Amino acid sequence: MRPATLLFRVAVAGRSMEPTFRDGDWLLARRLRRAPRTGELVIATDPREPARLVVKRVRAVAGDAVALAGDHAGASTDSRDYGPIPARSVVGQPLLRYAPLRRFGPVR
Amino acid sequence: MDLRSLIAPRLVAHAHCDIPCGIYDPTPAKIAADTVAKMVEKITGSAGNDDASRNLYIRSVAVKEEHAQICKKELLILWSDYFKPEHLEKYPKLHDTFWKAAKLCSKNKQSVDAKAAADLQAAVKEISDIFWATKK
Repeated sequence: MRPATLLFRVAVAGRSMEPTFRDGDWLLARRLRRAPRTGELVIATDPREPARLVVKRVRAVAGDAVALAGDHAGASTDSRDYGPIPARSVVGQPLLRYAPLRRFGPVR
Repeated sequence: MDLRSLIAPRLVAHAHCDIPCGIYDPTPAKIAADTVAKMVEKITGSAGNDDASRNLYIRSVAVKEEHAQICKKELLILWSDYFKPEHLEKYPKLHDTFWKAAKLCSKNKQSVDAKAAADLQAAVKEISDIFWATKK
């Protein structure tokens, strides 16, 4: 699954990125064509179910292998379970939370 | 079209967790199986045609069916979410054990059968023993 536009919106589902993102946050993201960097937030295709997107943080990059982790490590299924993902699976990067409005602002 | 649906994302990004808090426990299945057995006892032991007896009878049937269903749900959570391929290697009969236990839940839901209830309790215990063995 690849977003069709340069900028795209996603709704966060799940709690593995707390406190950075909460379940139900609406994000504006941009398509990412370059290689992801350690520490960045990314949106990637789920290696176990490519039609699905996940939002995680890049824990480590080694060549083409990108390890993802949730900020809420105790409640996250990520590279610890499914191993590193190829860099091309990273499709985007969250830029901004636009809802809820009281937490509007850039994300990183 | 209202504003909300206009600005709502079309895509979902999952920040998911397969193991919410990592808490799995066979105890709810055991309680449900024990409840089924207790209800079978109440149903078969119920006598009398007065309103109180009929009420108890009907409630016991309803609770039996409900808890047979709860038992199945709890077992399926353990089966699909807790147990991993490495457990299967160590317990090659695991799938069969769960399948039979789930079928026993159905049987207990459908019938009033003390033997089926006892079999379900035994099946849940077997799964529970495997579960705790994997925790060691």
